[in-house]
Amino acid sequence: MSEILKVSGLSKSFPGVKALSNVNISLRGGEVQALLGENGAGKSTLIKLLTGVYQTQEGGIFLDGELVSFGSPLEATKAGIGVVHQERNLIPYFTVAENIVLQDQPKRYGLIDVAKRRARAQEALDSLGLAIDPDEIVQNLSVAQMQLVEIAKALATDTRVLLLDEPTASISGSEATKLFRVVAALKAQGTAVLFVSHKLEEVFEVCDTVTVLRDGESVIESSPLSGYSQSEIVAAMVGRTLADRVKRIRTVQPGEPVLELKNVDTAIGHKGISLSVRAGEVLGLYGLVGAGRSELMRSVLGLHAIVSGEILLRGKPVKIRDVRDALHKHRIGYVTENRKEEGLFLEFSINRNIAVTVWRRLQGLLGIVREHKETEVSERFVDRLGIRISSVTQLAGNLSGGNQQKVSLAKWLAADTEIIIIDEPTVGIDVRTKANFHELIMDLADQGMAVVLISSDLAEMVSIADRIMVMRDYQFVGELANSKEYSDVSTGVMEAIQSGSRWSS
Amino acid sequence: MKFLAKRVRTTEFSLTVLFVVGFVALAVTSGGVLLSGQSIRSFLTYLAIPILIGLAQMVVLAVGQLNLAVGAMGGAAAAVMAQMMVVWDAPIWVALLSGFLVATLMGAVNGLLVVTTGLNGFIITLGTLTILEGVQFALVRSFTIDGYPAAVKAFGKIEYLNIPSVFMAAVVTAVVLAWFFRTNVVARKILATGANPLAARLSGVSNPLSVFLAHTLSGALIGIAAIVTITSLGGINRSIGGDWLLSSFAAPIIAGVLMSGGVVAVYGTVMAAGVIRLVDIARAQYSLDPSVVNFTIGTVVLSTVALSEWRRRRSEIRRQKYVEVDSE
Amino acid sequence: MVTQEKLAARFGHLATDQRMILAVLVIAVFIAFAIRTPAFLNGQFVIFPLIRDTAVITIVGLAQLVTLSIGHLNLAVGRMAAVSAMVAGFTYERMGFGLLAGLIAGVLAGALVGMVTGYIIVKSQVNAFIVTLAMDFALLGLVTFTYISLTDAAAFTVKPEGMDFIRAGSLADFCVFGWCGPSVIPVIIFPALAVVALISFLYYRTRLGRELLATGVNLRAARLSGIPVDTRIIQAHTLSGALAGLAGIFLAYVNGSFSAAIGSELLLPSFLGPVLAGTLLTGGVVGVFGTMLGTLLTLVIRQGLLVQGIGLETLNIALGVILLLALSANKIRTSITDLFRRKAVE
Repeated sequence: MSEILKVSGLSKSFPGVKALSNVNISLRGGEVQALLGENGAGKSTLIKLLTGVYQTQEGGIFLDGELVSFGSPLEATKAGIGVVHQERNLIPYFTVAENIVLQDQPKRYGLIDVAKRRARAQEALDSLGLAIDPDEIVQNLSVAQMQLVEIAKALATDTRVLLLDEPTASISGSEATKLFRVVAALKAQGTAVLFVSHKLEEVFEVCDTVTVLRDGESVIESSPLSGYSQSEIVAAMVGRTLADRVKRIRTVQPGEPVLELKNVDTAIGHKGISLSVRAGEVLGLYGLVGAGRSELMRSVLGLHAIVSGEILLRGKPVKIRDVRDALHKHRIGYVTENRKEEGLFLEFSINRNIAVTVWRRLQGLLGIVREHKETEVSERFVDRLGIRISSVTQLAGNLSGGNQQKVSLAKWLAADTEIIIIDEPTVGIDVRTKANFHELIMDLADQGMAVVLISSDLAEMVSIADRIMVMRDYQFVGELANSKEYSDVSTGVMEAIQSGSRWSS
Repeated sequence: MKFLAKRVRTTEFSLTVLFVVGFVALAVTSGGVLLSGQSIRSFLTYLAIPILIGLAQMVVLAVGQLNLAVGAMGGAAAAVMAQMMVVWDAPIWVALLSGFLVATLMGAVNGLLVVTTGLNGFIITLGTLTILEGVQFALVRSFTIDGYPAAVKAFGKIEYLNIPSVFMAAVVTAVVLAWFFRTNVVARKILATGANPLAARLSGVSNPLSVFLAHTLSGALIGIAAIVTITSLGGINRSIGGDWLLSSFAAPIIAGVLMSGGVVAVYGTVMAAGVIRLVDIARAQYSLDPSVVNFTIGTVVLSTVALSEWRRRRSEIRRQKYVEVDSE
Repeated sequence: MVTQEKLAARFGHLATDQRMILAVLVIAVFIAFAIRTPAFLNGQFVIFPLIRDTAVITIVGLAQLVTLSIGHLNLAVGRMAAVSAMVAGFTYERMGFGLLAGLIAGVLAGALVGMVTGYIIVKSQVNAFIVTLAMDFALLGLVTFTYISLTDAAAFTVKPEGMDFIRAGSLADFCVFGWCGPSVIPVIIFPALAVVALISFLYYRTRLGRELLATGVNLRAARLSGIPVDTRIIQAHTLSGALAGLAGIFLAYVNGSFSAAIGSELLLPSFLGPVLAGTLLTGGVVGVFGTMLGTLLTLVIRQGLLVQGIGLETLNIALGVILLLALSANKIRTSITDLFRRKAVE
């Protein structure tokens, strides 16, 4: 089929940062193209340019051979570029039908034509083979169904190019399979699909061609996927083969576990969770997004209720009521995955961000906290973690992603924690800082901390963890010692997830 | 079958039952006095305003905002109309229309301020409320203006089968409003803005426009309430509108309108206004202090909101395994 | 990145900037009114009440500021003031309490109401706005009902020993070696200044103040950083209630009696001070001393207009306009910093 979308020499800069540099893409009707790249490679900038959130600076976007420019997301949609984002964008109280036609509700004598609306919605749903009732209220649907409704919605607005941004981020198993069938239906209709994902297995299953971004450039441009192996793709993404990654062999001191969970059930659905971490060890929790790993750790911190089972700290059973309890009484820290929403106070200075966990310790008579003591503490950890700033009075919101993440970690180090849970530490961080972070985490373990690492990045897991536990659907499905050989570990982990059964190697 | 629709329907049902039961109970305990033509007329006449201002607040709640100036807008509009008719001798229709337009305009100003400053309606309307109280005072001073044409007062007394014209006006307004929100694209866009501004924007809805229109519509409804006030009350003074705020909130909230926006419940608001009116009658009948009413209503509103929050969280837990501990 | 630094520094010193502007405005407006109407400089009838009212309203403003600091609102400041005044009046009239004892009882009552409010907010997870709004109506009913059932004139009229001194006393009553203080300065300004100093100390120097601000800036991050946010929320509302209560009692001293009408007109003034001082409605940024300056400014304007013979209506209009302007100015300022911050991070 003919080319629908062409991106030529696209570049985009922001003050001090060149996000995209000379990117080229070609997309035909009926083709599913994967858009791959590490976080920070420029994927999200490219998506924002294609969907009209950003305006083009250099280079051009062509639809059916004609140069287009979008002043707003609405213009992009009208031009035929549809997008289904990671987060749901539907009106929960409206019906499926109304959501599908929301952009352009059919009218009759100035009033909404309900019959026509339902018909149009049904048409869109049928063309994708979806058995969803158009009169159902969106709020009653599952997350996966909502996503499918959004795809139907994109179709209803005559979308020629559909952008799917991490579509399987919060769905799995049979729901993902249904999604892929829908993608196949789109293909058959002649829609061009741009499939953005970090899950290589899915990409190889679903896509025809691939574009890989690295450091803002398109290192593989719309090439047939069949010409590449997985490790070649990864090499293109990270700039060196996995074999070159620093394999740091660590020995973990034997000893009693510092943190143990014994047969824990939580109020939000975990069943029979058992794990243990020793001082100086890095325990990795791997799983797809939605497996329940963060939720499990949050339960440990008291944010969700534990309905049965035990948590033991240094051999003694404990009840952790809240994060404050966890921190001050049990010396557990938690570096959240949402650093901007939960990990940092963007409007506060770095000083305050780091000292927040130690105000209690710093306070003197009448609860006075001396600012120079705060500065002392924060400067110490700024040095230790290598955070690049001009002064600790800078606002946390002004830092780059990597530095922000370091600040988020620093506050737990300042608090002298002994057990630290690190949740998706390097999302949205450039490759070099990522490696830096990995070294840092291993240093922490070497210094005697017990580290629980939650990550969906298997390569990251293989680099750092000593043991890997695999989770799926709020249960453990496997545990492996980390041989540091990517393909071995990868196979073991994938098998565990697919079989869904519990075994240890 | 449909979660939210069901819940609102259940609330509508409960309120209807509550109203009927309450009415019957009061009728019985009053020894039938409540059922006399006079009582019914009076009851319905004094129900018209709470219905209208409840709807005025509902419309603003639908976009997730609040209008604290409901009373001040009504009072100022009423003062303008009274001034025009009595002091400037303007023709009745001109005066009434002007009052309506003034109220609508005030709503538009609120909307404009909200949209341009990006601040929430509540703090903006706190400012405009203060300004309008000043305007109202400037117009009526410490006097009560009641020398307006007999025709106006007569209109207030028209009734058919003991149903006063002003009540009919309120009911007709409610019906038109309900129909508007069900079938009009602009109204649906307003609801979309309230429910999920981001999704709305991505579907081509102009959120600022929705918010502006919601506030303007609120002003229009208050304009109608002001007209009802002037036709049914004896005179206009500076205290008119002073006690509108609580009932304007209580009715829609009890009816299940979410403070977060995206939901309207016209029938429920009307019924809730009726129930609140019954509480007032009960108070008079049992010679309770008016402050008791306020206290009761305050508590009921609080419980309703707390209950709906609790229900919302429980349904979230049931649907998805993951729930945020504190959502704001 | 130099521009960001400058703006960040300026954002951090938001309060300082505001204070300068406010101080200058106060002086300018004062002089303007004085020139226009020499009667404005009347010590006994203009300046003295001006400073006295500033004292009381500043405390109300601080009551609101404390809730704003955690990103909440207290729409019931007026009623909390009324409840405290009522309790104090009750102890004076029915229990024969002395001035200070009754004051403490009243403030504790206000604190209790605040604590209950905070507790409801935390346990029900309902928006502070709604809770305090409902609380306002509930309290209104409660207060009115109590006054009507317990008194004849709907007011407690017994004046404890010393109340007159607080109401009308000034520095002129303090004489050292025959040199007496100026009579325009009411004694009531001193407790108010003490409160300002205390709250200022709380937010700028102590751990509690920092944790309150952190809770206001980002509730989730605060919770996940080990700050006991629920406790802090309750504490903030309790303190707000106590301050509102103190203001209510002072107001009663100034009026000469304890009635249900106390506090009915405090909502708008409670916002004016903090907002003019640059306090953000979203929490995390407060201007304590600025609240006093902001309050002073609005009261200077009020007194000035009154002296000119301009009526209540113009005053209301002026105050409403000032509030809207001050809010817009704050919003513009934070939008600019937001803009720069977003550009930096992208």
